[in-house]
Amino acid sequence: MSRTQSLHILIAALFAGAAVFFPLPASAGSCCGGGSGAALLLPSYYNGLIDISFDFEKYHGYWDSDGKVRSDPPNSDLRQYRLNFGYAKRLSKRWQTSITVPYVWNDNVYSGGPSRTDGVGDTTLNVWYEAVDDKSAWKIRDMKDMIPSITIGADLLIPTGISPYDNVNSSYDITGRGFYRLDGNIQVSKTVNPWTTSLSLSYGTYLERSVNREVYVGYVEPYRKKLGDRTSASISLGYIYYIGTGGDKLTGTASFSYLSEGDTTYDDNRQSDTGFRKKSVGASLAYASTDHDWSARISWNHAIRQDDWGDNFPITDIYTVGVSYGFR
Amino acid sequence: MGSVKISALLILLVLLTGCGGMTDDLFPSGSDKQPAVIPGTIGPLPGQIAPDFTIPDMFGTAVTLSSVITTTGVQGAVLYFTMWCPICWTHMDDILHVQIPAFPNVRFYAVDYVNGTLADVQQSAINTGYYGTALTILADTQNIVESLYHGTMGVTVVVDRNGIVRMNEDYKDGVRLHTVLTDLP
Repeated sequence: MSRTQSLHILIAALFAGAAVFFPLPASAGSCCGGGSGAALLLPSYYNGLIDISFDFEKYHGYWDSDGKVRSDPPNSDLRQYRLNFGYAKRLSKRWQTSITVPYVWNDNVYSGGPSRTDGVGDTTLNVWYEAVDDKSAWKIRDMKDMIPSITIGADLLIPTGISPYDNVNSSYDITGRGFYRLDGNIQVSKTVNPWTTSLSLSYGTYLERSVNREVYVGYVEPYRKKLGDRTSASISLGYIYYIGTGGDKLTGTASFSYLSEGDTTYDDNRQSDTGFRKKSVGASLAYASTDHDWSARISWNHAIRQDDWGDNFPITDIYTVGVSYGFR
Repeated sequence: MGSVKISALLILLVLLTGCGGMTDDLFPSGSDKQPAVIPGTIGPLPGQIAPDFTIPDMFGTAVTLSSVITTTGVQGAVLYFTMWCPICWTHMDDILHVQIPAFPNVRFYAVDYVNGTLADVQQSAINTGYYGTALTILADTQNIVESLYHGTMGVTVVVDRNGIVRMNEDYKDGVRLHTVLTDLP
């Protein structure tokens, strides 16, 4: 086993939830358990939607447990790529469901050499209930034009990725965290053309599991493990530019995201300093055509490489391109 | 293709692509499946004779396991495999501030198995604040110890003064390590 083979358990541990709560149409439960609350959300005029996106995540060091920025090991270059496949289906006027499956490539270099592996990541199943509709007013004429859309949902993260607890002799194979997680989500958004804003909140809890095997070491004395509860939030502000007189529009969005996870417990004993916290900013540009039912987007999520913008977590930039097609 | 079929196809794809490892996560087992160890054999498992090695520390000084554990007064040695990640720092801080003071007759080593040169090992130790601490950093630039002990991030190995492996598993919260070190002969 080369010195770089174990990078992927690092990926599993350090990328834990790196897929933050973007105010974007889709993001996978990829990268070892991320994707909290970021499931597909169908516009009201669609009965179904297919979404494909590609993430590129680049690492620029870490925050330590005191929130101080630390550098990666010398001559290292850590990257992850994720191809996310999503499908959403309207169940009724107010209910919809979706599934998102990522495929993960780890591409890392330490001073000892390169390491490249790939595999399916963790899958997200989601259900949304559209509690309140937004009429997207062009002008505020009375109070009802101020009513935002409110969507409430739940995610189930399924450990379909290859985790440190699977039958793997090499950390090369690890693409998931190995835990189920239940998330409760709420998204509030309001559009008063040409401006649009949204607030997304999510709280998730992992299900405790037994562990009797560890990477490379093999079978060990069984114990129970539970990752800490997860909280994520995102707020965004966007501007919609209408192209011509048709239904085409270009939306630029700026966002701020927060993600945290509590400490891990082993046999009910909490291990301090195993949780993490991350704040990041983002920008996206989305093109949508209601005439052709296609949309496309690019986005950038940036973790600011300064002290106290995170704890116990890698500092990354995530670049995403995505397309979707809606069925009426 | 109907939406139900598409959904079923996606789920089927997930199940199929995950075969070979995924089921261990979908249906985790708490059964103790540790293999039986034949006494007297050399290997990384608890109960086996610890494989001997000689590798340099980050300053280039050779460290030989058999010499360390047979030094008068030494009860054993701990090998902690680090890749200088946040969880590694948590574990290494626990070793520095809890385990080392509690077990002065045990020698503690952090094994850097990710860097390829002594200079890079030193730089990682400097970057992360472990340069010059009571935790000796071993430079496993040829992955000798990693291979012998199936070491990876967070793996912690305890070898007693008789050369027997007492523990080889993830560090977790350090409680298990503390128990094993307390029970050393």
